[in-house]
Amino acid sequence: MRRLIKAEFRRLLATRMWLVTLLVAALLGGGLIGMMTIVGPENFDPPMPGLQTEAGVRSVLGMLGFTAFVPAAIGTLAVTSEYRYRTVNFTFLFAPHRWQVLTAKLVTYGVAGMLYGLVLTGTAAVAFFGAVAARGVSLGMPTGTVIELLARIAVAMVAYTVLGVGMGALIRNQTAALCVVIGYLYAGEMLLMMIPGINLVYPWLPGGATASLTDFTAVADAMSQQLSTDPVHLLSPVAGAMVLMGYTALASAAAVLRPMRRDIT
Amino acid sequence: MTGEHLRIEVSNLTKRFGAVTAVEDLSFTVEQGMITGFLGPNGAGKTTTMRMIIGHVAPTSGTATIGGRRYGDIPCPSATVGAVFDAAAFHPRHSARDHLLVYAAMGGYPASRVAELLGLLGLAGAADRKTRGFSTGMRQRLNLATALLGDPRVLLLDEPGNGLDPEGMSWLRSFLRHLADEGRTILISSHALGEVQQIVDDVVVIRQGRLVASGRLSELAGSAPPVLVRSPDAAVLARTLMENPPEGVAAPRVEPVQPGELRVHGLDAPQIAELAAAHRLRVHGLVTENASLEQLFLDLTTSDLTVEERGSAR
Repeated sequence: MRRLIKAEFRRLLATRMWLVTLLVAALLGGGLIGMMTIVGPENFDPPMPGLQTEAGVRSVLGMLGFTAFVPAAIGTLAVTSEYRYRTVNFTFLFAPHRWQVLTAKLVTYGVAGMLYGLVLTGTAAVAFFGAVAARGVSLGMPTGTVIELLARIAVAMVAYTVLGVGMGALIRNQTAALCVVIGYLYAGEMLLMMIPGINLVYPWLPGGATASLTDFTAVADAMSQQLSTDPVHLLSPVAGAMVLMGYTALASAAAVLRPMRRDIT
Repeated sequence: MTGEHLRIEVSNLTKRFGAVTAVEDLSFTVEQGMITGFLGPNGAGKTTTMRMIIGHVAPTSGTATIGGRRYGDIPCPSATVGAVFDAAAFHPRHSARDHLLVYAAMGGYPASRVAELLGLLGLAGAADRKTRGFSTGMRQRLNLATALLGDPRVLLLDEPGNGLDPEGMSWLRSFLRHLADEGRTILISSHALGEVQQIVDDVVVIRQGRLVASGRLSELAGSAPPVLVRSPDAAVLARTLMENPPEGVAAPRVEPVQPGELRVHGLDAPQIAELAAAHRLRVHGLVTENASLEQLFLDLTTSDLTVEERGSAR
């Protein structure tokens, strides 16, 4: 297993994709959060609570949850590129026990997802606190809580990377897998929330669970307000984390079990 | 490489993809230290069979073993078996060295082995170039380098000559012969028989997933190839050969090709020369027509025509 993990890291580091991904993390984390903090949520259209309120801080930092499609896509590519470029021929020749290969990918990309999460939230923290200090706003949330919130977002990024690996193993076609993963995370859940009744399921969907984990209710609230439906009640952060972990476990199981008997033709 | 006896044994192998039967009740053996040609037209089931040998495709029934073990049960399999399937199985943005280092890590082989193979396969100069810019010949060399990382004693090569130019083909032949001379067992599939005719010891021929023939190439090609005879006394010579075969030899079959030219089946060139001399008949040329594997292949794999029927149709 150690050899397989080492090989996966070699494969990951052999192209510049890792560097580009970390740059994207820094841009999304530092850039996006820095810009939003400087502008201030009270100046958004529609206006949101200011940073001097707890809800305001959550609404700004919670936006990071929407970047989950990036690590999810990276995780998806980890598996689908093996099929796209036919390296799977050699991979399963060198490691015929396929579950070991997929486990090595889950471990490797779990670590990669963690690094992505750390860069994303680390740069976000620097930008956020820097912009807050520059604006001289007194934050509506203790610093410790802000850091805890960012840590939760970093954990969610690990979960999404692993989810991506699982989806890649389920849908081997690279384009189809990316469309499903990015499409679902970007638009799929939003569309589901528009369907009366289905929106009750939202807290149990990956996006809803992430919103619970990060205490990010802005989107769910705005959605129910616009659609004049009953407010969506998110799960508690711990329950949200459990649901997200459940999806991660399902995706991991799928990643390990699905390729077991599937023919490589 | 270990000293273990490594014969490939395929027993009653069947593979169905839905309603399509790709391989049906196929059995054959590939002996150690031989180059065996695995022949058949496109779609005959060669790739599926080879993939079943290394566990890429699960058989519907039957078994395929290497040294008595299923591929998945071989400890450190890449040190026992190397295989090449698709023309290019590399990430286009990886260099040849990156690609080999990934699989060296996977198999637990040192980086020095990568450098050694890059040199052996003539890729040292291109080692740090991205594989997307590689020619077909370079891709095939990199495929072989990957398969050879663990110095395996068994090699399965699926159509390795596809797309190679004559120079590349010539290099491949001599490289494979070199590998076989080291005592490796090589199973090489091809639909273009001229490619492998010069290097294979044994052949396994399949058609529509079923075994058509297997054995030594020389045995399959037949013991007495026809002889083309040019003679100004062709008509008399034809009669003489048929009426006076050497003792213990059945009367040959003689077919006129064109005026002054005969094709003689059932006698070899020295026998024809002796008979002609004994009867003071003039012979201007004797050419033994070695049955080509290509012809044999066509006879064995095309429709249900027998060899004789195909011969008369020509």
